Amino acid sequence: MREYLWYIVCAVACLVVLVVLWPSEAGSPEEKAALAEGRVVITYWDRHTGHEYEARVKLIEEFNRSQNQVYVRTLPIGSRIEKLLTAIAGGAPPEICSLETAVLAALASQGCFTPLEDFMAAEPYLNEEKFFPHVWAMVRFDGHVWAVPTTTDSTCLLWNKGAFRRAGLDPDRPPRTLNELEEYAAKLTVRSPNGMVEQIGFLPWLPWDVTHMWGCLFGGKWYDPATKRVVCGNDPGIIASLAWQQTFAVNPASRENPPHAIDPTMVSAIPGGGFGEYQSASNPFYTGKVAMITEGEWQVEFTRKYAPDLDWGVAPIPQPEGAPPVAYSPNAVVDAIPVGSKNEEAAKVFLRWFYSPRPNGGASPASDYNYDIQNIPPRREEAMQERFTGHPKFRVFVEQLLTKPAEPYPAIPAMQLMSDDMERQRGYVTLYKITPEDAAHNIEADTNTELERVAKVRGRAAR
Amino acid sequence: MANSFLSPTTQIAVAVLLVVAAMVPMLLKRRVRWTAHFFLVLSSALFILPFVWMLSTSLKPESRIFTFPPQWIPSTDVLDAQGRRVVIYRGTEEGLQGRQGVELSVLENGQYLLNIAGKEMKVWPETFEIKQRLGFHWQNYTKAFKQMDFFQNLRNTLFVCFLTVVGTVISSALVAYSFSRIEWPGRNALFVLVLATMMLPYQVTLIPLFVAYRHIGWAGTFKPLIVPTFFGVPFYIFLLRQFFMGVPQDLSAAARIDGCNEFGIFSRIILPLSKPSLATTALFMFLWEWGDFLNPLIYLQDDRQYTLAIALQQFQSQHESAWGPLMAMATVITIPIIILFFFTQKTFIQGITMTGLKG
Amino acid sequence: MTRRERRNLRNGLLFASPYLLGFVAFTLYPIVMSLYYSLCHYNVINPPVWCGLDNFRTLITEDKVFGKSLWNTLYFTVFSVPMGLAIAVGLALLLHQKVWGLAGYRTVFFLPSIVPIVASGVLWLWVLNPQNGLINSTLAMMNIEGPGWIADEYWSKPSLILMSFWSVGSAMVIFLAGLAEVPQSLYEVADIDGAGRLRKFWNVTLPMITPTILFNLVMGLIAAFQYFTQVYVMTAGKGTPADTTMFYALYMYKNAFNYLRMGYASAMAWLLFILVLTATIGVLISSKRWVHYHGE
Repeated sequence: MREYLWYIVCAVACLVVLVVLWPSEAGSPEEKAALAEGRVVITYWDRHTGHEYEARVKLIEEFNRSQNQVYVRTLPIGSRIEKLLTAIAGGAPPEICSLETAVLAALASQGCFTPLEDFMAAEPYLNEEKFFPHVWAMVRFDGHVWAVPTTTDSTCLLWNKGAFRRAGLDPDRPPRTLNELEEYAAKLTVRSPNGMVEQIGFLPWLPWDVTHMWGCLFGGKWYDPATKRVVCGNDPGIIASLAWQQTFAVNPASRENPPHAIDPTMVSAIPGGGFGEYQSASNPFYTGKVAMITEGEWQVEFTRKYAPDLDWGVAPIPQPEGAPPVAYSPNAVVDAIPVGSKNEEAAKVFLRWFYSPRPNGGASPASDYNYDIQNIPPRREEAMQERFTGHPKFRVFVEQLLTKPAEPYPAIPAMQLMSDDMERQRGYVTLYKITPEDAAHNIEADTNTELERVAKVRGRAAR
Repeated sequence: MANSFLSPTTQIAVAVLLVVAAMVPMLLKRRVRWTAHFFLVLSSALFILPFVWMLSTSLKPESRIFTFPPQWIPSTDVLDAQGRRVVIYRGTEEGLQGRQGVELSVLENGQYLLNIAGKEMKVWPETFEIKQRLGFHWQNYTKAFKQMDFFQNLRNTLFVCFLTVVGTVISSALVAYSFSRIEWPGRNALFVLVLATMMLPYQVTLIPLFVAYRHIGWAGTFKPLIVPTFFGVPFYIFLLRQFFMGVPQDLSAAARIDGCNEFGIFSRIILPLSKPSLATTALFMFLWEWGDFLNPLIYLQDDRQYTLAIALQQFQSQHESAWGPLMAMATVITIPIIILFFFTQKTFIQGITMTGLKG
Repeated sequence: MTRRERRNLRNGLLFASPYLLGFVAFTLYPIVMSLYYSLCHYNVINPPVWCGLDNFRTLITEDKVFGKSLWNTLYFTVFSVPMGLAIAVGLALLLHQKVWGLAGYRTVFFLPSIVPIVASGVLWLWVLNPQNGLINSTLAMMNIEGPGWIADEYWSKPSLILMSFWSVGSAMVIFLAGLAEVPQSLYEVADIDGAGRLRKFWNVTLPMITPTILFNLVMGLIAAFQYFTQVYVMTAGKGTPADTTMFYALYMYKNAFNYLRMGYASAMAWLLFILVLTATIGVLISSKRWVHYHGE
């Protein structure tokens, strides 16, 4: 008898717990109200989390208030790609999603997004002429336009004026040539008596690997869109850029290293050489541990937030003599409509609203979004708005895109693999395990093998 | 001008003192195993590091989070001018509204510009002093709670945890009983199969699994997270099998003679004798589910269903992380687990006396 | 078949039926599909295209990173698993004694296993920092120049192995549960025989916890071969320096989700599966010699 009582007590307790914990139904009250009104409810998956997501949600709420046909619900999915991939593979994608061009290039070429060229051509604010050419190149490939660009970036040289003063350099004169960059780097590198590196002048791959950028700045050509092949193997510019990066690492086998060379292992000794601290007040550039760095426009906002006392300047990155002047803008964040989206038309209504100027002549929500998260709008006219070019530092970043052709990552399905391989091969070069020629050759061979494989598989799948 | 609150060496000294202080009560007891204590104290100092780090970071303002070497005790700058003390905040750190605070910036001529609650004044560095005082930046916690729907997320997490723990313990114990206490042909082969299913990494089964759940309409619900645990979880089947194997066969035989059927032996002999391992199973499953990030992310399609582990990513964005609130929320999430563990570990002690009596 | 055998078969299947049902319902399909993918070119988006053993051939004959990742993983497993086991047993033995503050100590040793990795990852980087990290500054006090740890190609794997010891907490808890179930009577018998502490450990405790050792060994092997999360957080999944931290599961992840080579990744997964299964069966067969079940 007692035993049964015990079972009953257990069962009742479980029930009580379940009743208390039973999750509320999916869907916010607003969403249900919208459904009840007969509005079309569509889902937007944001690749971003944190304050970038909040900025987006604020604008989407404005859209939901602005009309009574479409209601957009949002979900922050973060940077782990598994979520989007499983959803697409499982036939349950959202109506719209934001993603990076690196992912777009891999996915769109398999045909899992709806081509948007007809839609965009018909929209006065979304046709080709409005966008920076390099951004357009990132969304237009394989004969279609796959996504609407939302934000873009621009990379410049940032220098710490305080460090320049301490090293006896003119704080208002950044290096203008590569030789000057090396010379400054040597002067700005501070070693403690026991040989530890206390301050790095400049390191081409800090805070992250930008082998692609250096190749472009050296006038090299990574990819040929005409033949759809990677062509860096024998490119003198690419090889020169890798060789130049190599000079910044101490060669263990050589007695005579250039004065700007440092032991790459020691880089991780500088906070921010790892991860995490980069995104905080201990970013080595803010703390003066690194005097010069190549970084994007978001640093204008970040320095205001994390290092308000930092005295810094921004300038174009020096290029070798004779190399054609280029800006560097590797990525863009875009909005795309996955194939299988349940309501394409409603998605387009939202996109139209988001990228068009507001009725009373105000800026477009997309421009507000860029301003809110301090990125550069991918459309020339919006990038030229006073709020972007009015800031003396932000202007320098925007100017690069306005005055020079910008180099993006090639929009190829093997973009991720190529980018990883560039970092891998550069790593081997700076450890003096292979020569720059080998590295360039390996990147070309590895990526082309992958491109061929992708093309072959696609060919077979089409049949 | 600014003197450090505690130098790294002092911090180490304080740590050593604390450790010694912790040892005192133990030393007062008789029959102390000195070496054991010494070793325990030393190594537990190493193991407590991550937690202390998280806790201390959660109480620091953004500008002090990644100082190297780390500052273990959170501190704030205090401005001391003729005996009046005001806390200083820098940049956009929160706290200026409605609190007594000062914003400080350097002017070209070496003077400082003080902004006290909107009033600005210029002062020379000689007239004031900046000292570091113990100070907790609780704003991280308020910010963290404001930024996420904590109670909603908590309720979702507890719901999933509760059901998966119940499901796992019941089903895994049943299956483990079959693998350990009943002799039947093919059980070893099936057991190897159970183990084998753990050897295929999730990376390659994720997509077909999602496709399958989507096919039966479970995508977007809690079912993919909960239902499978009612069919035995390999890790715990193996764990419980190992423990059930250790229970003397005579007990089962005696019960069988008394007319007990197989289920009776399972529920009246094996289960009561296996409380430590069942507690371990429940605890581990709870912990795993509590911290699981990927599965909820894949299967849940509405942020009102999100669990704590996914909500944690709201503190990280593309190029920056709100480390203060992130650590605050991580602390809030970890502490219940610590309490839970602290109390369940007693079950192991219970186990000693019980098996001692019957074994 | 005798009546008893029939009854046992019925009962055995009945008790195992939840698993059998669940296996058919939830596990079988993904496993079969991944095996099928491993024989296909499959990019997740488009339907798989049959290619026979092409993926396996490419892996073994062409892919240099694959070989490196396999080596890294074997290296990691061979060192981290036995050493981790030894530490866990040692801690469990210490914490099984009646010491003051037992509950507190147990909790402390379990702590690193429950602090979210996103929160603790930054701390590990500081611990392993070549210049002013915890380890190297301690070594510097003794006038020893520490290595570059995770940034050094020779020390990166040992660093990660060292890091893995921090999370022996869960293995320790399982050992504690195992120790708790050692019948006290056995010690009493040993006391009567006049056995010393060491003998009691060797002849009573150790044999009695062999079932848990077997469990932790097998689970440790399976986990080590799939080692992923920590290295993904610590090195941003880049495998730096010089591919010395490109582990098997990491490379598989990259293939599956970054390079969209799901078929290729599945082939990797099945090679790993065969490897781990062989190792596990080897351990299980050998366990007949060294695992002692008190119940038998």
